[in-house]
Amino acid sequence: MRNHIRQSTNWQFLMLLLIIGSTSFAQNVNGVVLDKSNNKEEAIIGATVNWLGTKTATTTDIEGKFSIARAKSKKLIISFVGYKSDTLDISNETELRVYLQSEYQLQEVVVRSSSTSMDRLSPIHTEILTSKALAKAACCNLSESFETNASVSVSYADAVTGAKQIQLLGLAGTYVQTNVENIPSIRGLATTFGLNYVPGTWIQSIDIGKGAGSVVNGYEAMTGQINIELQKPDLAEKVYLNTYVNSLGRGEINLNLAHIFKQKAEIKPKWSVALLTHGSTMQTTIDKNNDNFYDLPKYTQANFINRWKYESDKMVAQFGIKYLYDTRLGGQINKNPLSLDKLIYRFSNTTNRAEFFSKTAKLYQSKPYRGLGLIFNGVHHDSKSQFGFRPYNGKQQTLYGNLIYQDIFGNTNHSYKAGLSFLYDNYDEKFADLIFKRKEIVKGAFFEYTYKHLEKLTAVAGSRLDFHNLYGTIFTPRLHVLYNTTENTAFRLSAGKGFRTANPLAEYFGNLVSSRTVRFLEAIRPEVSWNYGISLTKTFGKSNLIIDLFHTQFQNQLIGDTEHPNFLYFYNSQGNNYANSAQIELNLMPIPRFELKVAYRYSDVWQTLGKALNQEITVQKMFVPRDRILFNVGYALPYDKWKFDVTLQYNGQRRIPNLSTTYVHTSYEAMPIQYAPAFVNLNAQVSRSFRRWDIYLGGENITNFRQKDPIVTPDNPFGSRFDAGSAWGPVVGRVIYFGTRYKLGGRI
Amino acid sequence: MKKIISILAIILTISTLVSLAAEPPKTAELKIKTSAKCGMCKKRIERDLGVSKGIVHSNLNLDDKVVTITYNTKKTSPEKIKEVISKIGYDADEVVANQKSHDALPGCCQKSAASHKD
Repeated sequence: MRNHIRQSTNWQFLMLLLIIGSTSFAQNVNGVVLDKSNNKEEAIIGATVNWLGTKTATTTDIEGKFSIARAKSKKLIISFVGYKSDTLDISNETELRVYLQSEYQLQEVVVRSSSTSMDRLSPIHTEILTSKALAKAACCNLSESFETNASVSVSYADAVTGAKQIQLLGLAGTYVQTNVENIPSIRGLATTFGLNYVPGTWIQSIDIGKGAGSVVNGYEAMTGQINIELQKPDLAEKVYLNTYVNSLGRGEINLNLAHIFKQKAEIKPKWSVALLTHGSTMQTTIDKNNDNFYDLPKYTQANFINRWKYESDKMVAQFGIKYLYDTRLGGQINKNPLSLDKLIYRFSNTTNRAEFFSKTAKLYQSKPYRGLGLIFNGVHHDSKSQFGFRPYNGKQQTLYGNLIYQDIFGNTNHSYKAGLSFLYDNYDEKFADLIFKRKEIVKGAFFEYTYKHLEKLTAVAGSRLDFHNLYGTIFTPRLHVLYNTTENTAFRLSAGKGFRTANPLAEYFGNLVSSRTVRFLEAIRPEVSWNYGISLTKTFGKSNLIIDLFHTQFQNQLIGDTEHPNFLYFYNSQGNNYANSAQIELNLMPIPRFELKVAYRYSDVWQTLGKALNQEITVQKMFVPRDRILFNVGYALPYDKWKFDVTLQYNGQRRIPNLSTTYVHTSYEAMPIQYAPAFVNLNAQVSRSFRRWDIYLGGENITNFRQKDPIVTPDNPFGSRFDAGSAWGPVVGRVIYFGTRYKLGGRI
Repeated sequence: MKKIISILAIILTISTLVSLAAEPPKTAELKIKTSAKCGMCKKRIERDLGVSKGIVHSNLNLDDKVVTITYNTKKTSPEKIKEVISKIGYDADEVVANQKSHDALPGCCQKSAASHKD
């Protein structure tokens, strides 16, 4: 209804009702703003009424009435926190009766129409990946969901384990707080394979917030915050079946079921339930580069969520359980025929993860801006691995609670969120002869104030104070400002501190597939950073231009130093450690249903290394390409009958470790700097929709680019120079895939 | 860089071909009276027709429940189109709605529902 078209399945609520009392011309426009959500009319007090693009504004009085002088603009905006804002076209009406829709009803039924969009109202620079964008890259889980997104890039971390890592603002995904429905999720030991644990068909949408995040979800969002919304029991299709198979022999099946417990016809149903399931496996032996190592591990995954929802006029409650089993086997395929011993290098991992969650919100029907929410989450994560002779066992138990209250000061120009949080993390890790045990108990309190001045300015100032049993008091301030200079131009500013405790082994998991000796030079302190960002969004019609700049400065960073070919050193950073990132993105829709995206990203990331030899030298961070270009073009026929999508990525040069077997590391200052070559990645997909079926056919890495020798000395995996943890490019070449989706009982 | 340019050229050619291929060759117009009730019905009928074989365009008028369809005469026929509408769950002129599909529709879209427009 405003700039982005929102479609509501709940069609009764779609249109704002507007009753025109009189058509005679008058100097003022008078009206009354009402809420009709419980079948009775109630005045909305303090709603902002202003003419678009002007300074003429007023607020509604105690009876919901307003009177505003006419202005040049013909568009009248009526907004109030907790309600969806609306824009009315006014010609010569004088008496208006406006019903605002409570956001509680709308928030969850919104289906965004274009595939990627910016969240226009959020003061945090937030990109939204809708189910439409997710369907552009049909395969398979969260790690593949960012393929058509310019901000997030995904890469394999090594040549053996199959783990994938994301990068945002030139820094690793560990600095991004990844939430599933506002519950911190991919953290701790799950950072290794966590992206592979969220099946794509479960995902409803993904929000990517760049820069410091909101304090409401904790202190861990250092470079950004990703929130994943899963399929909802009351909104998903009754049956959704997805099958997928690819040329490597990977097979997948996803079945989502949803049910609403209907009562009498006139009563809105209260209970609904959903079961989301996933099973996938790959049992073929793939060794395209003939190094006698599996290019991808054989694996099997089973994964499900059972979730329930209760909704009444007074409260909404959601709760459920999740369970995941994943086992994988990689490494050498056969024994080395030349060696006399019968040794074989194998990598294996088995992960079991069980989780429960609950989210309860108390609603105040007559005051939709007020709310009280409680989030609970418990996780048990158990990961067992073998790297050749070296075993790794990691266990994590987490309990998380977050209580959030939101309300206004006087009127809705001043709103706030306040709350209390609790986090219990128990880590128990063993790697070869190293033992790590850590118990973290963190009690926190937060307060976030939002100031809104008409449609022009939104400022959010938040801070939180956490009491950490190991690291004392942590103060985390954050600030976000959104300023709309015109209707189509938005400036955003952000600044904020971030804090996290690192899990070195889980985060440098791929580097363990090597002969490197792991050495901790000192006790690792928590990572602390400051992030500053500025961005500009300009929309013209359905097209937009986004420019952003971010700077992350570390006060302390965990350094995983792989310069010496025989060691993996861990130490606290010294000197200057920072990341600069700049991105320019252009989204064009020259003709209907034709989308074009061109983006360029510049990352300039530096670390200070050398503690192992008592030196100090600032060098470029490894595995971060300085330049990246993304080009995406999509075309669809009406109703997506046919859909074509092509994505091209250019990944520039990146620094890599010196992998020459004759290299001797004696100095950081004099070490030669090596770069991996730039390469191009091309993906394409065609899909066809039928009444209940979709079928899709696609290709990944169509140019068949492969890193030639991703493993150092693959013929001698027990020798001193063996290293499979330094892969910088694709290990497998071209992959062709085919899949189907069957949907029954959509809620339209 | 050369590679990128050639790939871009291929993409552009493909997308041009696709848009050309989408041009309808020989079409006819057809009006069918349906048992649609509301905006949801309109959305459902237009979408399902949209992905059906040979349909170029459709528009359902909620005032008289008549859907106006532009279709490719080589790929489909009025009989087949009525069959499609019946399978979606609606009466199409003399063809009665498929009972199973009709019963699966939300209550407000079924024939027994009171007349409403929004």
